[in-house]
Amino acid sequence: MARSSFSVARLPGFATTAVLVFFALYLPIFTLVAYSFNASQSVAVWGGFSLEWYAKAWDNQQVKDATLRSLIIAVSAALIATTVATMAALGTTRRREFKGQGFIYVMINQPLMVPEIVTAVALLILFGILKTNAAEIGGPIGYFVDTVMNKGLGFIILAHSAFCIPFAYLPIRARLEGMDLSLETAAADLYATPWQTFRRITLPLMAPGIVAGAMLAFVISLDDVVITEFVKGAGQDTLPTYMLGQLRRQLTPEINAISTMLLAVTVVLLTAFFLLTRKKD
Amino acid sequence: MKRLLTATAFLMGTTGIAAAKGDLQLYNWGNYTSPELLEKFKAETGITVTVTDYDSNDTALAKVEAGGSGFDLVVPSANFVQIWVEKGLIDTLDLAKIPNHGNIAPEWKDVVWDMGRTHTVPWQWGTTGIAVNTAVYKGDVNTSAVFLDVPEELKGKINVVPEMNDVLSLALWYVGGEPCTEDTEMLKKARDALIAAKPDWISMDYGVTEKMSNNDWAASVNWNGSTMRVRLANPDVVYGYPKEGYPVWMDSVAVLKDAPNKDNAYAFLNFILVPENAAMISAFARYANGVAGSDAFMPEDMKTAPEVVVPEEFKAAGKFLPTCSPKAQEYYTAIWTELQK
Repeated sequence: MARSSFSVARLPGFATTAVLVFFALYLPIFTLVAYSFNASQSVAVWGGFSLEWYAKAWDNQQVKDATLRSLIIAVSAALIATTVATMAALGTTRRREFKGQGFIYVMINQPLMVPEIVTAVALLILFGILKTNAAEIGGPIGYFVDTVMNKGLGFIILAHSAFCIPFAYLPIRARLEGMDLSLETAAADLYATPWQTFRRITLPLMAPGIVAGAMLAFVISLDDVVITEFVKGAGQDTLPTYMLGQLRRQLTPEINAISTMLLAVTVVLLTAFFLLTRKKD
Repeated sequence: MKRLLTATAFLMGTTGIAAAKGDLQLYNWGNYTSPELLEKFKAETGITVTVTDYDSNDTALAKVEAGGSGFDLVVPSANFVQIWVEKGLIDTLDLAKIPNHGNIAPEWKDVVWDMGRTHTVPWQWGTTGIAVNTAVYKGDVNTSAVFLDVPEELKGKINVVPEMNDVLSLALWYVGGEPCTEDTEMLKKARDALIAAKPDWISMDYGVTEKMSNNDWAASVNWNGSTMRVRLANPDVVYGYPKEGYPVWMDSVAVLKDAPNKDNAYAFLNFILVPENAAMISAFARYANGVAGSDAFMPEDMKTAPEVVVPEEFKAAGKFLPTCSPKAQEYYTAIWTELQK
C-alpha cells in the first residue's frame, strides 16, 4: 500500500470504549435472558433458578398459535420479498444508467425511510377500505379478499413482503455489484440462452447474497410489531403483538422466556447471515 | 400458471376455518380474559371465543374505525365509551337479548358516561390511590397530601406513577378544582403543587409491585390491584383512598355495529353478567367486577381486601374521569411536560 492507512481501531482508548459500549447495549438483554430463569413471579427480584417459565410458555396455547402464525408469515414474506428483490437487483445493477433509475432506487428503499407508524396507519386505512368493500363487490374477487386476504393471513403477508423487500434487496445488490459480466458473456459466446445463463451461472454465483437477503427478510418480518399491530385482523396475533398486549398487565418472567427464545432464533439466523456474506478473499 | 396456483393454494391453506356458527371474536386488553371463563362459555353454549389483544384505547379505536376489523366485542375504558358511541361504532344494546342485565350492581348502573347501561356492560373496575408502607409512615394515608405535601418520613422514598390523567386529576382535586377543567387558576395551582412536591419524590416510574415488595420504595401513587399484590408480599402496606377525590376507572364490554356474530355476542354479554362468571373474571384479572351478588363467589383473599372492596367512608370521593376537551388536553400536556423535565 502506498499510503499509511488510518485506522480507527488504533486510536487510544478504542478497546475500552468498545467494551463499554457493548456492555451498555447488551446488559439489558443479558438481564432479560437471566431473569427468564427466575424461580419467583417477579421480573426484577431474583428468587432462584428455574425452568418453569419456559414450560409455561410451551403450554400457553395463545403463545403457540402466535408463534406459528409469526413463522408462517415470516417464511412467506421472506420468499416473496427475496424473489421480488432478486428481480429488482438484476434489473438495476451492472448496466448503463437509465432514466428514472434514481427514482426506482428510492421506491425500493421507501420502507426504510418512511417511519413505520406512517406505513402502518396507511396500510390500516387501505386494507380497511378493501375489507369493507369486499362484501359489496361480491363474486370471486370479493370471496378472495374476504377469505384468503382477510381471514387468511394474506393482508399481513402482503404488508410484510412490502417492507422486507429493501432488506432483501441490499445484500443481493451488493453481491451482484461484486460480480463482473465476463462469465455471463462467456456463456453467451458458448451458445447458452439467457435463461440457461441465468440458471447455471448467475444464480449459483448470487446464491450467498440471496440466502443472506432471505434470512434478513425473515428476521425483520419475525420481529415486526408496529405494522402487524395495525394490519392484523381478528384472532391474528403474532408473537410480538401478543407480547405487546401483555405489557399493560402484570409482567411475569414468561415474557422473558418467550423473548429469550425469540432472541435465540434471531441470533442464530444473523450469525448465519454474517458467515455467508463474509468475503472469502 | 402452475406456480400461481400453488401459491394461491398455499395462501388458502393459511386461512383458518371460515367463521363457523359457533364463533366469537373478542377484542380485549392483553392478559385480561380468563381462559377458564372461555372454556366454561364454550361448554355451555358451544361457541368458541377467540381473543385478540390490544394495549391501548387509541389503538383499538383506530383499528375498528378503519373498518373491516372482524371483531364482535370490544372493551373500552370509561372515558372512551362516549367517543365510540359518537363515532357510531358500537350498538345500542338490545336489552331483550340480555335477560341478566338486571344483575348489574346499582352503583354501576347509571354512570355518567353510559346512563342506564344502554351501550356497555361492566367488565372490571378499579381505583387509583396511594400505597404506603406503614412501617415507615404512620400518619393518615387517605389524602393526596402524602404525595403533594410529602411528610418527613417519606421524603425521597415516594414514587408517582407516570399516568398523566390520574396524577393531574388527583392534583386538581387536591387544590379544589375538577379534572379536565379549563380554569387556568386551578391548573396553575395544581401545577405549582406538583412542581413543588417533585423534589421529594424518588422517581416517576412503573414497577410499583416489584419496588414496594422489596422495600425499594416506601410509598407510591398506585392502582388498587397492584397494591393488593404488594400487600400480599409485604403486609405493612396499606392502600389509601385520597379523601379530596380519587379516580375510578372501569372497562366495559360493547358490541360493535358491524359485528359478524351478534347473537353470539349477546350470549356472551348475558353470560358474564351471571355472578359466578363475573367472579371468575375477577379471580383472573384481580380487580372488582360490577355484578351484584358476585361477592359470594370471589376468591378468599379478594373478598375482604380493602383494595378491592372500597370502605363505606371513602366511596363518595371516588369519581370517574371525564374525557377532556382538546383545550383542556393541551393544558394537561403542557403541565405534564413541565413536570417531567
